Amino acid sequence: MLFDLRDLTKTYGRITALRDLTIAMPEGAIGLLGPNGAGKTTMIRSLLGLIRFDQGEGQVLGMDIKRNRLDVRQAVGFVPEDECLFPSVLGVEFVSYAGQLSGMPIKSAMQRAHEVLDYVGLGEARYRKVESYSTGMKQRIKIAAAIVHDPRLLILDEPTNGMDPAGREDILELARDLARKRGMSLLFSSHLLTDVESVCDQVMVLGRGRLLLKGKLEDLMIAHTREFETQVKGTGEAFFGRLRERGVNVGMVEDGYRLKLPEGASLSLVWETAQETGEQVRMLKPRRSTLEEVFLNALNEGAA
Amino acid sequence: MPIFDQGYQRWTGQLSGHTWRWLAITRHGVAAQWKGWMVKGVFFASLFPVFVLWAFLALWGLLEQKSSLLTPFMGLLRGLPPEVLEGPKGYRDVYWTLAFNSFFSTELYFTMLLVLLVGPNLISQDLRFNAIPLYLSRPLRRIDYFLGKLGVIAFYVGLVSILPAVLAYIMGVSFSMDATVIRDTWHILVASLIYGCVVVLSAGTLVLAFSSLSKNARTVMAAWLGVWIVSSLMSSVLVNTVRRDWCPVVSYHADLLRISEALTDAPTARRKLAELLTSATQQMPRPGGLFGGILQKGRRNQPPRPNIPPRALVIQPRPGEDIYGNSSYPWQWSAGVLTGLFVLSVWTLSSRVKSLDRLK
Repeated sequence: MLFDLRDLTKTYGRITALRDLTIAMPEGAIGLLGPNGAGKTTMIRSLLGLIRFDQGEGQVLGMDIKRNRLDVRQAVGFVPEDECLFPSVLGVEFVSYAGQLSGMPIKSAMQRAHEVLDYVGLGEARYRKVESYSTGMKQRIKIAAAIVHDPRLLILDEPTNGMDPAGREDILELARDLARKRGMSLLFSSHLLTDVESVCDQVMVLGRGRLLLKGKLEDLMIAHTREFETQVKGTGEAFFGRLRERGVNVGMVEDGYRLKLPEGASLSLVWETAQETGEQVRMLKPRRSTLEEVFLNALNEGAA
Repeated sequence: MPIFDQGYQRWTGQLSGHTWRWLAITRHGVAAQWKGWMVKGVFFASLFPVFVLWAFLALWGLLEQKSSLLTPFMGLLRGLPPEVLEGPKGYRDVYWTLAFNSFFSTELYFTMLLVLLVGPNLISQDLRFNAIPLYLSRPLRRIDYFLGKLGVIAFYVGLVSILPAVLAYIMGVSFSMDATVIRDTWHILVASLIYGCVVVLSAGTLVLAFSSLSKNARTVMAAWLGVWIVSSLMSSVLVNTVRRDWCPVVSYHADLLRISEALTDAPTARRKLAELLTSATQQMPRPGGLFGGILQKGRRNQPPRPNIPPRALVIQPRPGEDIYGNSSYPWQWSAGVLTGLFVLSVWTLSSRVKSLDRLK
């Protein structure tokens, strides 16, 4: 189990950041979703053993987060959301220093710093002062510093915030590579659902300090039995007109049409209509929920 | 270079335990501060008093052995009372104490300068670059962070004050070639170590507290100068106007010196030396030379008067001092001021460098 939290409650004065949070997640790439104030940051800090709870207990990578705080942090890498740097150091010193703080010997830390800087694509900037780095480079060096000691779990808090599309794609590719090819577990917190969707295979949704939803993406993004996406060869005017007459809700989407069948109808209705109108159907597949829908549904259910 | 060209390698090395993790912060801080040319300059300048102390102890050791190597230096010894020249071992405690105390009082200026150069950046830069979360999200506690930063101060203070004193002691013992020197002077070594710790804890926590109060290192430097220079100036003004015993306590510098005096028992050594010189004036035209003049500042042009403490003839005691130039106020007053500053500094650090157990 990657982490296992039970009845975790944390309050700050009158604000309850986490409320009886109970969740167990297996290893893998996990997306952490939730609106502002949902308790995402508090949960991340809980996993790092940085917080004293009002009640509850938990384990991360099999280690108790109350009793083995330092051991937990030694096995976990963390990329904070905010811009934060060790000042006045070169790129390679930054990463080496991070390794030493995690317990690596000096020589190993320096050697490893060079390796991970190459890996994150900062090899040519390793002898530049980190203050002179661009936003994307700063983000990459934070990732390098977080993986220098080869953690089993990497926590990324809003890693693509404020980045241009190319830089953002680099970071996502890096996260995907770590999770899928290198076997590192990820906890990926982001407001950008497409980012989570492109990196993670599981998600959890928090709202007002509670767990609203969790599960594998493929299970959550269900295939609808009455909704389909389709593409046709021609304009499809007659085809879609006939479908509308038969009670099918037809809507345009980015790369085709979306069909919603009436209650009790089956897919054969579409095929029959295509045959009648002589339309050539090039693609027809059940529509899957988007992560956005899953997220919004979870929030609505949570609010109810 | 395209991303991932090198690929990700697993690391299979062994991570160290948590106990000495703060040393990584100290190591990094020491290396970072050593890059400054001013730090190097002050360090090398601070070696001058070190060499003087070492030379003094070497000469004293030769004097005890009545070595012929001392012949070229006899001019320096002409002011020593005959009793000292005949039996220097009986007075080694006095001379060693005063030599170490003079060393500490001189070296304190360099220590303060080094703290001024090294200390302000230590936490203020971390605050400016928001580095605290980077530290605390690693296997480090807040106390490790503070210890690591304090270690940087301790290193530089140790380098100019504690280490030279210890080496000087070892050298003094070696040159004496007499085991009894340890019996007579061990308290000086202990006092040196304790005094070094007092300076590290006091100056270290104080400058770190200042450093945690501002993201601008120059502001921190100004605050440190305020404590060091301005408090000394204020103390001087108060000594000359209010003229009360407590006036010197206002000076941070004087407080540290008072502790040094108390630890090495310099007042007793000064009194003994004054008595020795007083009796010697009956036989000698005037005290002179390096050794004889060690506490005779400003007295060379005065005629010797027997049986009266020499300093009393020249200078009226200032408030807070006795006729031998010793501080007359209790050392506990200075200790109280330093303790108060220490507690205030720890409280400031604790409240300014917060844990991450808080709302964002």
